[in-house]
Amino acid sequence: MTATLTTCPYCGTGCMLYLLSDGQGRLVGVEPSSGHPVGRGQLCVKGWNAHAFVHHPDRLRTPLIRRRGTLVPAGWDEALNLIHERFRQIAAAHGPDSLVFLSSAKVGNEENYLLMKLARAGYGTNNIDHCARLCHSSTVTGLVETLGSGAMTNTVACLDETDLVLVIGSNTTEQHPLIGSRILQAVQRGCRLIVADGRRIKLSRHADLHLRHRNGTDVALLNGIMQQILELGLEDRAFVDARTENFSALQQSLAAFKPDRVAAITGLQADEIIAAARMLGSAKRAMLFYAMGITQHSHGVDNVRAVSNLALLTGNLGRPGTGVNPLRGQNNVQGACDMGALPDVLTGYQKVAEPAVREQFAATWGRPLPERPGLMATHAYDAALAGRVRAFFILGENPLLSEANQAHVAKALAKLDFLVAVDIFPTETSALADVVLPAACYAEKEGTFTSTERRVQRFRRALAPPGEARADWEILSAMLERCGLPAGYAGPAQIMDEIAAVTPSYGGISYPRLEESSLQWPCPDRFHPGTSILHRQSCTRGKGHFSPVDYRPARELPDAAYPLLLNTGRTGTHWHTGTMTRRSHLLDREEPSAFVEIHPEDALQHAIHDRQQVSVESRRGRVEVMATVTDRVPPGQVFMPFHFVEGAANALTNNALDPESGIPEFKVCAVRIAPC
Amino acid sequence: MLKRLDRSALEKLLAALATEFRLLTPQRLADGTRLLRPHGEGALALQGEPVQRKPTEAFFPQHDPLMWIGAQGEVTACDPPVNPLALFGLNAADLACIAFTDRFFAAPPADDHYQARRQGALLIGLTGHAGPGGEFLPLAEGLCDLELLALRQDWLGVPWTARGEDLLAGLPDGDWAELENLQETGRARGNPLQELLESAAGLVASESVPDDFWREIGDRCILCSGCNLVCPTCTCFCVEDRHEQGATLRSRVWDSCQFDAFMREASGHNPLGSEALRTRRRIHHKLAADVTRWGEFGCLLCGRCDRVCPTGIGIQAVAAKILARFGS
Repeated sequence: MTATLTTCPYCGTGCMLYLLSDGQGRLVGVEPSSGHPVGRGQLCVKGWNAHAFVHHPDRLRTPLIRRRGTLVPAGWDEALNLIHERFRQIAAAHGPDSLVFLSSAKVGNEENYLLMKLARAGYGTNNIDHCARLCHSSTVTGLVETLGSGAMTNTVACLDETDLVLVIGSNTTEQHPLIGSRILQAVQRGCRLIVADGRRIKLSRHADLHLRHRNGTDVALLNGIMQQILELGLEDRAFVDARTENFSALQQSLAAFKPDRVAAITGLQADEIIAAARMLGSAKRAMLFYAMGITQHSHGVDNVRAVSNLALLTGNLGRPGTGVNPLRGQNNVQGACDMGALPDVLTGYQKVAEPAVREQFAATWGRPLPERPGLMATHAYDAALAGRVRAFFILGENPLLSEANQAHVAKALAKLDFLVAVDIFPTETSALADVVLPAACYAEKEGTFTSTERRVQRFRRALAPPGEARADWEILSAMLERCGLPAGYAGPAQIMDEIAAVTPSYGGISYPRLEESSLQWPCPDRFHPGTSILHRQSCTRGKGHFSPVDYRPARELPDAAYPLLLNTGRTGTHWHTGTMTRRSHLLDREEPSAFVEIHPEDALQHAIHDRQQVSVESRRGRVEVMATVTDRVPPGQVFMPFHFVEGAANALTNNALDPESGIPEFKVCAVRIAPC
Repeated sequence: MLKRLDRSALEKLLAALATEFRLLTPQRLADGTRLLRPHGEGALALQGEPVQRKPTEAFFPQHDPLMWIGAQGEVTACDPPVNPLALFGLNAADLACIAFTDRFFAAPPADDHYQARRQGALLIGLTGHAGPGGEFLPLAEGLCDLELLALRQDWLGVPWTARGEDLLAGLPDGDWAELENLQETGRARGNPLQELLESAAGLVASESVPDDFWREIGDRCILCSGCNLVCPTCTCFCVEDRHEQGATLRSRVWDSCQFDAFMREASGHNPLGSEALRTRRRIHHKLAADVTRWGEFGCLLCGRCDRVCPTGIGIQAVAAKILARFGS
């Protein structure tokens, strides 16, 4: 049996594990890495099953080209030549910005780097984006403005020394289980816990205070807490004076958020808001954690600003046991952003709009670069419908299930002249493609992922890819060559050297250094030990900036025709659109079908009983799923996971976008429900 | 018979074994993980915490292909093992766990697949001063072919089967006084964990632990299933069928009673439909049901579930809590 040390392919926690194979090319299990600083020899259920999908017979094995309406096997050269030829023709006829490239938070840093290089230097467009648009684009926009960096400020190990944890909009034990469990351990040693979440999630059972505010009222809640902190004189005045700016504007903005008004907006009691303020204001060290419950709103950036304001007001920044800690969902969504798979920045968040940045990259790559920031993924569908975008290159994403308002996305993809999908399994999206390329999965190639705490780690090849499948970096190198760009990379190590040369925060990162450990960026030079806590002496931008925000309701609220609020998200067992977990035997058995959680009072009112098939309908679509009657959801709210094609939550969700970050409002829309 | 081995004699013994057996020895990987690995792949780690992966996986692997079923229903059994296994470096608890699963899989109807791997396998215990930094580990005093007892330097060799005696033939005699010293160290240390388990088991068996307690423990379970996957006496598996090119590969895969689906009925009804009930069952099974069935606890105190549980509800932690809360 061979044991290959690698990084888990599921969430952003970044646990490391050994893939165990039988020596004949078959994976037989996993074993957690005992020495890993986050996993510490433990895993969640998906980690324990990280080997289970790899040999599934559905794996894509050969390139496929659509001929007379059907996808049929083809050779690699033929497929790659066709893609290049069609992209070149479309760019020539409609301009380079008629092409869109979607990168992937599932593939390595090196592969994200190559795809954004391909888009920009190869085809001359900044139309590159990826699923961070749907998860933490609000964080990057909000925290860059207030702190200067969009990353998690602290590190998971800080949980061992904090006095209070606020979790708002994160079901941490299910979505980042090895961080959620660390929170539970902190509670065991006496750390206090506030959970702000409408659902009765596992963490809430351990909370000193569970705030079940209405979905979409986070700004009001956070402003209300800050107003009371000021009222009670519990702000960290020394920190505010020395480390921040724009305090008086914040102070003025909070005057309108007195407890009674906030209670009316949020559905909480005024006492609960005051209690939260007392706890947060009096904690010596508090860590603020958040995830999609904060970001996925039409006011997601404002939510993030409010969280940041709270950290600054209470001086919880730049020290162990504190910080603004947005939890990244995908294993490499942090890395995909770091690598510049975004329409407005190159690697390390260097802006494409700045001439000096473009000149540096142009010199390295030997091509002039486009200066106008590209389209956000969520805007690209509108552009496709309008005929401005003609072709998509989609690497390891399944937008047909993951984007809000499925019908809108389906219509946009159908209108394209040319669609390319690169994936490990056939997906709902690849079924529409003109060319499908088979990719190696994480267990079959080399590379690095960057975890939620900015930890850059290796993943390693444990076995060969199936059939003719190739590593994404090999596929992208072949595309770069077709664009006339030198791409004879010996392997991902050499690509990382190129990344380090053009990315100050990754400047000291190299494969030899990652051989036996990991490095947290910023790591500017080869002697730098990495950075566990950001903003220690001053914020990345200098002073921490208070950015006052006002409350704006969600764009679509329940009404007489659609009386229930639909909240969407994930479960602990499955991963996103189920491409991998629904092909993992034990995980699929645990949660085999789509469901909707509904409160007993609402179930009674709509004559629905537990495990009954029901229809859930919004203004955008209708699906049939099984009802789970539970008080996990509050009255008036229903919850659906978006894993299941046969009961797609995103057939219902609202693609109302945040005006700044372009993130859709996955967490709030109005639905009606009825027995089937 | 009592023999003494120095490092070179030990290495010679292992080298000889490796020619006849698929020999697994404890090795430490780069990140600190100590695992049983094919001999010679890495340096021997003769001292340390118990090998991380449960040793019973040698005979009952996590993913075990059983048979191919062809389109016409013809069945081809998978991979009978070639040369037998030899496991070196097992502590007393791990040897007891293997004995436990041996008995389970031998009970009628005997499990052919387990027996095929187990038959002819050689077990070599490593006890005495073989813990982390030379810390003392309880002696096995049986349950293996050969027990090597670590002294501060060198090892004493005690055979427990004729095969064990053969392996030690020709080596210099050991000093019986040194063996007695080790035995005395073991006696002096006693077994406080065993006492803890027995006391907690008494309370579990007598239904003195209320439902509220199991709810509290269940509330901390994050459903990782790790406690079952690492437990050497857990023997539950499910069947996975995978259809490839017109044929079906049927495998058995380690299962976990912490899964909701483990007991869920086709109707959706689940007699163990909450973490509280499942956690209660896990502990009750090991500390009460196994005693009724086999006459001994299903927990042999290897410590793996306590090490792997992300929220601190391994069996020793729960037993300690039960005793603190409900003990007299």
